[in-house]
Amino acid sequence: MATRSESIAGGPAQRQRRGLHRGDAWRTVALGILCALMIAPLIMAIIISFKSPSQFTRVPFLPTWPMRWENYEFAVQIISQFLLNSIITSGATVIGVLLLSSLAAYSFAQIRFPGRTFVFYAVLALMMVPASLTLVPSFVLVRDLRLINTHWSLILPWIAGGQLIGILILRAFFESLPGEMFDACRIDGATDWQIYWHVALPLTRSMLGVVAVLNILGTWNNLIWPTLTLPERKMWPLTPGLYSYMEQYYTSYGRVMAGLLLGSIPLVILFVFTSRLFVEGLTSGAIKT
Amino acid sequence: MNKTLWERIWETRTGYLMVVPTLAFLLVFQYYPAVSGLYRSMFDWNAGLAGNFIGLSNFVELFTDDDVFIRSLKNMALLTIWYLVAFVGLSTGVAVLIHRIRNEGSKYFFRLFMILPVIIPAVVLILLWKFIYDSTIGPLNAILIGVGLQDWTHAWLAEPKIAIYAVMFRNFPWIDGVSVLILLAGLQAIPVEIVESGLLDGASGWRRLRYIELPLITGQIKLLIVLTIMWGVQEYSAVWAMTQGGPIDSTQVPGMWMYFNAFRISRMGYASAIGVVMFLITLVATILNMRYIRSQEY
Repeated sequence: MATRSESIAGGPAQRQRRGLHRGDAWRTVALGILCALMIAPLIMAIIISFKSPSQFTRVPFLPTWPMRWENYEFAVQIISQFLLNSIITSGATVIGVLLLSSLAAYSFAQIRFPGRTFVFYAVLALMMVPASLTLVPSFVLVRDLRLINTHWSLILPWIAGGQLIGILILRAFFESLPGEMFDACRIDGATDWQIYWHVALPLTRSMLGVVAVLNILGTWNNLIWPTLTLPERKMWPLTPGLYSYMEQYYTSYGRVMAGLLLGSIPLVILFVFTSRLFVEGLTSGAIKT
Repeated sequence: MNKTLWERIWETRTGYLMVVPTLAFLLVFQYYPAVSGLYRSMFDWNAGLAGNFIGLSNFVELFTDDDVFIRSLKNMALLTIWYLVAFVGLSTGVAVLIHRIRNEGSKYFFRLFMILPVIIPAVVLILLWKFIYDSTIGPLNAILIGVGLQDWTHAWLAEPKIAIYAVMFRNFPWIDGVSVLILLAGLQAIPVEIVESGLLDGASGWRRLRYIELPLITGQIKLLIVLTIMWGVQEYSAVWAMTQGGPIDSTQVPGMWMYFNAFRISRMGYASAIGVVMFLITLVATILNMRYIRSQEY
């Protein structure tokens, strides 16, 4: 495309095109300063995480030697239980969300059942219902269902809420697949269950990844709900766990910072393995609106 | 051809079966709580008790007899306006800066860097800032003393006049990675021809931004405005983790006040009414936004 407009516009356009990107230097400097400021609190945390209390009192914000790795050993023991809880709850939620939302999305996109539009809008309308409206009644519901102090008190409501965005994304994807392909399968005698499992799901693997990443980010960062439904702290996932860890050991600054940094690692690992899905997921839906 | 409705329903029964699990979850964990929240907002209701129907009294009390709620609304407005400036305004600036960088390598680096605030758990950033604001050992006061501004030091989260601004200005330099990525995606989707023909007509720098790029990413900006308002009205985890609404309710926001009423003093009906007010605010804001900010097509 670029070559075409060049050939039409000729020489002057060439000069103008260079003008398209003038001033790289100051932009890089400005963005570099911003990035440095963004990362500054983390650098601070890394430096402090290697300090004993006395080292912190003497030189709080600059590196000191010897480095106190035992802060990390201490933090690991406490954080690992929270991390395990997070993996259980976020993991079970993401499996449920992928299963339910892909089934519903397939049905909405490929099966013309009477009342389909109405049901779809009934699902879509819930996107407008904020968590604040449902917080108190959800708590009472979970209590009445006797789910308090079980991980189900997180998993079940999270599946219900998390599948909405999944249905939206996957329905759009299933609709974009060629309908002839599905018709051909039906003519060959495949049931919709078989088409869903053997044709639609394998084709949609990367979209499922996008939904999974979005869902994990959402549940992983939930701070307040688990503190309501789980009276025992040893049941808490990582996010509220880190909060209680900091409350408990506030004055051992080295240990606190080591814990916060360790607690940040799982999402970084997730990102390293799924960086493309990550960016796609975060910006999905933004182009079309 | 002319099948009855029942025949069509029977033929497509798989379709219904596939949405049944979804609907079951939604009915129990979404629709029931939402309706129950609307209904219970008209009750004087403590946990465990049946409660008395009192009509709209909870709402009357909220707006005529609850100074803390009024203050929480003001704080919410202040924070939401600030989030709009930061998440939409600043992010647009950063996205345009990154978009105009010519060197592909550094462009990629900065784009990747914007992911950082997303993969660091929100609670970690909140807790780090709680530490930064600490009055005795926090680095913010240490820096102020270091550059000779002793008079400017504060107990940032403990002084009623200052605490709300400390909550507001956390996460300096306030870049929201998701917003930047969404806006960048919009900028990159603008066809090269449009920008080039604009350049031929002499639109460069600010004029290129004002007349070409901004109008073409209104869709993304509109989306961000809606998301930010919804988030700003609801958000209280930062307040919850940093101040719990204190000191003397100076950082109270509606979500926090709802939490306090429901789970600290067991006024569940009253808390439900706060939830309903928050729901109505987001609803009105979203509808207005959809109506009055139109996006441009090319």
